[in-house]
Amino acid sequence: MIWADQIVQGIFLGGYYALIACGLSFMFGVLRIINLAHGSIAVLSAYLVWMLADRWNVSPFLALVAIVPAMAAAGWLLQRTVLERSLRSGALTPLLSTFGLAVMLDNLLFEKFGADTRSLAPNIGDLAFNSWTVGGGVTIGQLALLTFGVALALLGGLQLFLNRTPLGRAIRATAEDADTAELVGIDSRRVYAAAAAIAIATVAIAGTFLGMRATFDPYTGPAQLIFAFEAIVIGGTGSLWGTLIGGIVLGVAQNLGSQVSPRGFLIAGHAVFFVVLAARFVLAGRDPRTLFGALRRAPI
Amino acid sequence: MPTNGSRRTFVKSVGAAAGGTALAGAMPLLWGSARAAEALKVGFISPRTGPLAGFGEGDPYVLELVRKSLARGFSAGGTGYAVEILDRDTQSDPARAGQLAKELINGNGIDFMLTTSTPETVNPVSDACEAAGVPCLSTVMPWEAWYFGRGAKPGQPSPFKWTYHFSFGVKNFFDCYVSQWHELPTNKKVGVLYPNDADGNAIREHLIPDLQKAGFTVIDPGPYEDGTSDYSAQIARYKAENCEIFNTFPIPPDFATFWRQASQQGYTKIVKIAQIAKTGLFPSNVEALGSLGDKLATACYWHRDFPYKSSLTGVSSRELADGYERASGKQWNQQLGASLSLFDAGFQALKNSAAAKNKAAVAKALGALNTITIVGKVDFLAGPFPNVSPTSIIGSQWVKSKAGSKFPFDMVITEHANDPKVPVTAKLLPYS
Repeated sequence: MIWADQIVQGIFLGGYYALIACGLSFMFGVLRIINLAHGSIAVLSAYLVWMLADRWNVSPFLALVAIVPAMAAAGWLLQRTVLERSLRSGALTPLLSTFGLAVMLDNLLFEKFGADTRSLAPNIGDLAFNSWTVGGGVTIGQLALLTFGVALALLGGLQLFLNRTPLGRAIRATAEDADTAELVGIDSRRVYAAAAAIAIATVAIAGTFLGMRATFDPYTGPAQLIFAFEAIVIGGTGSLWGTLIGGIVLGVAQNLGSQVSPRGFLIAGHAVFFVVLAARFVLAGRDPRTLFGALRRAPI
Repeated sequence: MPTNGSRRTFVKSVGAAAGGTALAGAMPLLWGSARAAEALKVGFISPRTGPLAGFGEGDPYVLELVRKSLARGFSAGGTGYAVEILDRDTQSDPARAGQLAKELINGNGIDFMLTTSTPETVNPVSDACEAAGVPCLSTVMPWEAWYFGRGAKPGQPSPFKWTYHFSFGVKNFFDCYVSQWHELPTNKKVGVLYPNDADGNAIREHLIPDLQKAGFTVIDPGPYEDGTSDYSAQIARYKAENCEIFNTFPIPPDFATFWRQASQQGYTKIVKIAQIAKTGLFPSNVEALGSLGDKLATACYWHRDFPYKSSLTGVSSRELADGYERASGKQWNQQLGASLSLFDAGFQALKNSAAAKNKAAVAKALGALNTITIVGKVDFLAGPFPNVSPTSIIGSQWVKSKAGSKFPFDMVITEHANDPKVPVTAKLLPYS
């Protein structure tokens, strides 16, 4: 029974990881950028939502209606001013520039908001800690279920968008081969900027859920990267459904590890990550470039 | 030969002797006035930004108080000094803390070092001072992690000559907890959540056996790693064992995750006393928990209601808290008193040394220091080890503020086993 509960909680934890990883995965798949500022941007969004929620006493969900378009615009601007330029000067430069962006964001947040720990949980009342008890000693947290639902909707929605809409097709084509896409009349700069806007908009949602589930302060960002990154690698880089599956595999592995011994939580997660990575390496015929082969494929 | 650090005095005196033979008659006068204006340089290293920034938040206010009271100089052994305090921010990085200490010692030529808050700050600074032969006084980290963590062995003489530390230790927590946990009727079953880090392991090794001897049943699921994001396994265990007392030493973000999950999974309805340490030190930690923060039991190393005043600035505990709230608009926090006590004790030792720029004399005065600071008694003669003075930990509880307060939660004192002079201001209330 304990094991059943562990697996259920692990699946919900996986949903949370997938939600956090969604924007990172999208950016990785389309723009080929490992956005090291991902966590910091999520924390920035959490602060913005917190500011609205605290000052005007509105629900964080309502605040998101204002923050998501704002963050999308910021994403567009980020692509045009920073990422586009750094992509032109090789694969390492975007890594460095997003790392620099993360350091800058963290310290600006500290200047503006100080060192205090914040959380959005007090703004959502009982939803933060209420739960339903189902049979066999398994409880389901209301917020955990909502997080899972949002992760599912967001990843599913993005997948549909990529498959079914003209802009989605343009994004896939550009990700596959930007030069050829330009030949058939796609403006790759515009497409990239749109993709960055979408990615950062999803980070705003992720940041809000981070703020409701846990606490944040100006330096919480970087720690959020590791689980998101592991979820993406386990699920296959650049694949959105893969990110959900990767998140769930990671969450369940961690919770089962923790049931064996509390120390096993992180070890089990890292071990699964390592095994998957090693397996890919072997299957890819020892060519490190094909390790990230999925990158060059469309994000399907 | 001039001792390390007084090269400037040496050069000055050589210069005066070489160029001033004609002024031989005026020499004693000149010499005397030069001595009176001599600057005493004191380093102060604390975390002001980064993940530990909560500790350093009140430091600018405390430094302002200290500088104001030292503005007209400081006198020790009949000599007047102009005091210069060089404050530095570690950015919560232990490597930077050590680097800053070396810069202050070698670059700025400080005479005395003060440092506070967590092993990540205090240990590297203490090590740098011990190596360079600069007297150093520190506070706010468990003294066991400072003394044994830096290579001292029980049963052997203290290896430290220059560094001294006053702070709480495991025994202080034990006395406080036993006193606090007898305030309410419980089944005396304690569920503990201690991480696999320096603090967690020290507490596991030393506190659990003592609690068992004192009649408590301790349920320890084992060490977990900092940054764990799901605690279902531990929560299931506490529920199964019906642990009515809960105790933890986590990093603050981990506790928020744990406690919300404990509520989702129904454990918080069982808990009568939720005793948290290391998190819940500052009001913002508790506010972030929302209604789940109400009635969490904690412990403090200084409180607004402490009966002591600062020996250096003359400010009382109440005045310090109120003054900070007025100046910053933020709620008082316990680190204010701790940071100020460091200056109280440090400048008392400088005074006692009678030769504030003589490093050996200052170190000797530290070893014999017995004084009352704003956190209470600091006494290096009373043991348990020559370089260590344990200070008190007072049981307290976060409760909803009275109507009309600007702040959502207030900390009240619920027991005083460590220092009966501290007034108990409220009765411990059950968590649920």
